[in-house]
Amino acid sequence: MTTTSIERNEAGAPLISVRDLSVSYDVARTGKRLTAIEGVDLDVHEGEFITVLGPSGCGKTTFMNVVAGLVKPTTGTVLVGGSPVTGPGPDRAVVFQDYALLPWRTVFDNVKFGLEMQKELKGAGWRERVQDAIELVGLAGFEQSYPRELSGGMQQRVGLARAVVAEPRILLMDEPLGAVDALTREVMRDEIEKLMAATGKTVLFITHSIEEAILLGDRIVVFKSHPGAIKEIIETGLERPRSERSIQHDPRFLELRDHLWDALQGEATAAAVSK
Amino acid sequence: MSAFLAAGPNLGRGGIGAWLAGLSPAGKAGVLAIEVVVMLVVWQLVVGVFGWINPVFLPPPTAIAQGFVELVSGGMLWPNMLISAQAWLIGFAIAAVIAIPVGLLMGSSLPMDRVVGPIAWTIYATPTIAYQPLAKAWFGFGIGPVIFLVAVSALFPILLNVAAGMRTTNASIIRAGKVYGASRTQLYRSVYLPSTVPFLFAGLRQAVVLATIGMVVAELAGSASGMGALIIKAANTYQTDQAFAAIAIVVAWSVGMTQVVTLVERWVAPWTRKGRR
Repeated sequence: MTTTSIERNEAGAPLISVRDLSVSYDVARTGKRLTAIEGVDLDVHEGEFITVLGPSGCGKTTFMNVVAGLVKPTTGTVLVGGSPVTGPGPDRAVVFQDYALLPWRTVFDNVKFGLEMQKELKGAGWRERVQDAIELVGLAGFEQSYPRELSGGMQQRVGLARAVVAEPRILLMDEPLGAVDALTREVMRDEIEKLMAATGKTVLFITHSIEEAILLGDRIVVFKSHPGAIKEIIETGLERPRSERSIQHDPRFLELRDHLWDALQGEATAAAVSK
Repeated sequence: MSAFLAAGPNLGRGGIGAWLAGLSPAGKAGVLAIEVVVMLVVWQLVVGVFGWINPVFLPPPTAIAQGFVELVSGGMLWPNMLISAQAWLIGFAIAAVIAIPVGLLMGSSLPMDRVVGPIAWTIYATPTIAYQPLAKAWFGFGIGPVIFLVAVSALFPILLNVAAGMRTTNASIIRAGKVYGASRTQLYRSVYLPSTVPFLFAGLRQAVVLATIGMVVAELAGSASGMGALIIKAANTYQTDQAFAAIAIVVAWSVGMTQVVTLVERWVAPWTRKGRR
């Protein structure tokens, strides 16, 4: 199994550069200090699709929240486009596991939310942009529906449209398919693969599904827990376009799956014991 | 009225529960109408026809209807109703105007919550009738004490619900707001306020019922006019049919205003309506 270094041999500065990142905080209830992640180093280049794989509680969501600007690093630095992250910004958009849609807004108004907050509704053409994003995720005809009238998979499509409409450089996805049903999940994996291949966006995709990590990722960042840290980084090296079906019997897919299974099983057992 | 027949947890599956849950709004209203008619018929039979209960204590529906006619023809109903409605509406408006902003402040500021919260809960926990003698001392014998008791009764359910709504805004939605660049003001306007709206209406519905209780309590205890005064006058002269007719009007008012609040909610907050897939 080839494990690559944190940097890929590519020309130009990385779009995201993480150095010696640690996050820890005090737990009020127990009075103890908890280290969520420790010593994380990672470079992500423009257009790369990075999947972050790890057992629950390994700090992968914390890692994503730091890149999103929602959590401040305790030590270390996170650079996006060369400048340190001080908070959320229009260059990054997040797709949340629980969709986080505004229940009082229709699909159309949810998708336009980002543009509205960034005061981009003044110029011409924003309606077309919102409509294009809705059509891109296959929700044409549901513009005036409320989130509660939609299935989980459809709600997450709204979340996707809301993220891509503002044309961020980086998409951060926090287990976006974790809460949708199994069948929809498989369909949407393929759709995300196509969508991201078409737009060429840089993606940080958090997941605890091995298949998902292989199917979508150019590189897989494997996290270990207690404390959360990068265990290894693997280049998938699978041809694109990929689909759930096309890779099922690919020897490289099987090899990666076995390797990740072993890596994660140890982690999951350790996590279960320490709890 | 169909809100009364909202489906509960249908544990039995199938049977009459499923049938009720599947009814159209018109069907639900029909079921309710049948229930009311059956109740009235049984009541009429027990008191009016079989005479098992002395009608002075519990007049039959026909007698209450007659009492209603007497109230109208005697010119007692409209003036008292108008005075009560006036006191109720003014008191309710005062409560809403104070409770909504203070509730929002309480919900968004922890110090404010710590200071106002205990006071609000204490006054809310006090039986309204305890304030009646004070209200009379402060506001005299007119409509003043009635307005005061209505306002005091309606204020706290609105205030405490609004504060709770503000506080329990979904953390994930707040995060989404921040990620997509909402400023502090935008976050309040676009996230906190809309997510408080269903709580506001829940508070208003509770307030309608409590305000009506407050109104009747104030008028019962020594008011010369109003529906409460009408009830006590009729009861004191053993005209229980008229007393019951007046009570029925107060109940109708309370239920009617609750429905008004629900209608306004559907109009202001259409997303809370139960969606059909």
